[in-house]
Amino acid sequence: MALIELDHIGKCYDLGLSKVHALKDIHVSIETGELVAIVGQSGSGKSTLMNIVGCLDVPTSGRYHLSGRDVSELSDDELSDVRNLEIGFIFQSFQLLPRASALENVELPLIYRGISKKERRELAIAALEQVELADRMKHRPTELSGGQRQRVAIARALVTQPSLLLADEPTGNLDSRTGEEIVRLFLDLHSKGNTIVLVTHEPKLAARCPRAVRIVDGLVIADGPGREVALANAEAMGADVVAQVLAAEAAAASHRKGAFAP
Amino acid sequence: MSTPAAPSPTPNSPETPPPQVSSGKVPLRGKAKKLSLWARFRRVFAEIADAVIQAVQSLIAHRLRAALTISGVSVGIMAVIIIFMVESGMEASFARQLNSLGPNTLYVHKWAWGVGGRDWWKLRNRPAVGQMDYRALLANAKLPIAISPVANTEAVVSRAEKEVKNIDIRGTTEAFLEAGGWQLKRGRFISDLDHEIGSDACVIGADLEDAFFKSGDALGQRIKVGPTTRCTVVGTLVRKGNAFGRSQDGLVVMPLSSFLRSFGPKRGLTIAVVAEAGKVMETEDEVIAVLRAARRLGPDQEDNFSVNRQDKILQGFNQTMMTVNLVGILVGVITAAVAGIGIMNILLVSVKERTREIGIRRALGARRGSILIQFLCEAVIVALVGGAVGVGLGAGAAALLDLLSPVPASIDPRVVTGGVLGSCILGAIFGLWPALSAAFLHPIEALRHE
Repeated sequence: MALIELDHIGKCYDLGLSKVHALKDIHVSIETGELVAIVGQSGSGKSTLMNIVGCLDVPTSGRYHLSGRDVSELSDDELSDVRNLEIGFIFQSFQLLPRASALENVELPLIYRGISKKERRELAIAALEQVELADRMKHRPTELSGGQRQRVAIARALVTQPSLLLADEPTGNLDSRTGEEIVRLFLDLHSKGNTIVLVTHEPKLAARCPRAVRIVDGLVIADGPGREVALANAEAMGADVVAQVLAAEAAAASHRKGAFAP
Repeated sequence: MSTPAAPSPTPNSPETPPPQVSSGKVPLRGKAKKLSLWARFRRVFAEIADAVIQAVQSLIAHRLRAALTISGVSVGIMAVIIIFMVESGMEASFARQLNSLGPNTLYVHKWAWGVGGRDWWKLRNRPAVGQMDYRALLANAKLPIAISPVANTEAVVSRAEKEVKNIDIRGTTEAFLEAGGWQLKRGRFISDLDHEIGSDACVIGADLEDAFFKSGDALGQRIKVGPTTRCTVVGTLVRKGNAFGRSQDGLVVMPLSSFLRSFGPKRGLTIAVVAEAGKVMETEDEVIAVLRAARRLGPDQEDNFSVNRQDKILQGFNQTMMTVNLVGILVGVITAAVAGIGIMNILLVSVKERTREIGIRRALGARRGSILIQFLCEAVIVALVGGAVGVGLGAGAAALLDLLSPVPASIDPRVVTGGVLGSCILGAIFGLWPALSAAFLHPIEALRHE
């Protein structure tokens, strides 16, 4: 059974006067160990989909199975537990607690798991080492650069050893060079066996994922290798994006060689 | 603006995977993860510990805001403590004074104790209790152990150049010593013979002995009581101490007949009748029967005198105390409400400020209950600190009051626990709504909050 099975998912917001079908009929399944990009323009429904996949929201129709468990009709508390145990979130705006140090931020999800203070600390340090930020663990988010903040956020997502890493525009608030570092970190995590779902509107990011799902108006209109989906998306969006995709390919090539992209 | 401090993760990753991947990860992975009961149990503790730390940090970060709310709570708690302290002080001193009246003593008097208002008009036309009543009781009442008529007034007492004002002058008989619960220190008490012959003998209280005879023997010395009367001291009394902020020892006891001669024969008396323990009711019935007969009251006429017991004073006192209590409770409720609204306010601000944090925590797996606990902890900590400061202030006020005023004031442990516990409950009650509003925020909206 696939890790994520979205079975004809629909999400309808009732605004009183009108109903908005943010998601119409999403039918996707994602296996353990995959790296999937979900691409789409703003308003396409990809954020709604991410919220549902992340168990922050429930669909109004269809079934969602995560690790073989139907989570589309769980109670709020059960959803909280699923978020804690199965999912690691990475947000565009990092979403770190400003008053807490990097270490405390990474420890945070472990509190909701009843892990002892000592063990929390050990796990958090290990996670920060994984993103190569162990030397900054006493710093507060304001004392860290954007890229470092996102690494802390990734460490926080990794520390619970989730079944799924869910990243929403993880490079959206970063400059291109720092963004590239984060992308490489994701590719690296993927190569170690983590399942990652990236939500992005950037074709160049999607192009580097083995698989991409393109969403338009709440419907899946393309599902296939990242490069093809990104290119199809690019055709729809205009030629300048093609250039971006090609640039991304060049960056990917240099990544494969292990050299540092300029 | 890249991050030079953080090297690219690529170079070392393929060869040396971090140990977590190979070791720690596997056991936690698997289908349908669930927390064990023990982990759930520990989670609550971890959440509370985290909530306390967060709350303290938040309060320290907003010192002024927290201090204002805390001072609101503490002033409220202090006010309530002071009210109840004064109340219990009054009660204690009253109980002590009441004890000095003796539980088995009946007081025959024109007035009924603990009666006011409309009844006053009914009672004012009664004849005063006089010597006739005393004689009737002496002759016909068999049950009393002792019967002592007392007339009293206030006067200036002087000796040579020295004078003492506001001295309690009592004219009475030998039985007064027992009825009033006094003890003789030196010399002798007024005898019935003194009363019969109207002698100039008198017995003085400890205050007067101190004032006049600090350096010499009081016995046999002459003092002037009021403007004209001269008396010879034949005995002194053991100190009785204060009752209701007034010394009871500024006192001159003289024979009733001498008193009436000096201060007017028409003065009303109070007749103290000491009953045998356990026979108070029978004695009261007998006293009423004897006095009705002596006053020739028909069967259809009401008593035109009152037989008072200390518990009647208690009744009147209890009525007063009930009013004081009610006022105290009212003040307490109002201050609690004001303090509580302060807590609610600070908490609502805190919830508003930390909306994003709530969203983050919810996304990371905090349940509604976890968020509720977090903000309730903050409310309870504010209230608790306020309560502790309030109890401290209350204790200080008690010490000050005890020092400066005659009302004995002390703070007992029940007040301390009550104050602390009460403020805890206050925090929980007034923190509940903001905490609930935080807990029921939608995680997605909370995350989007600016």
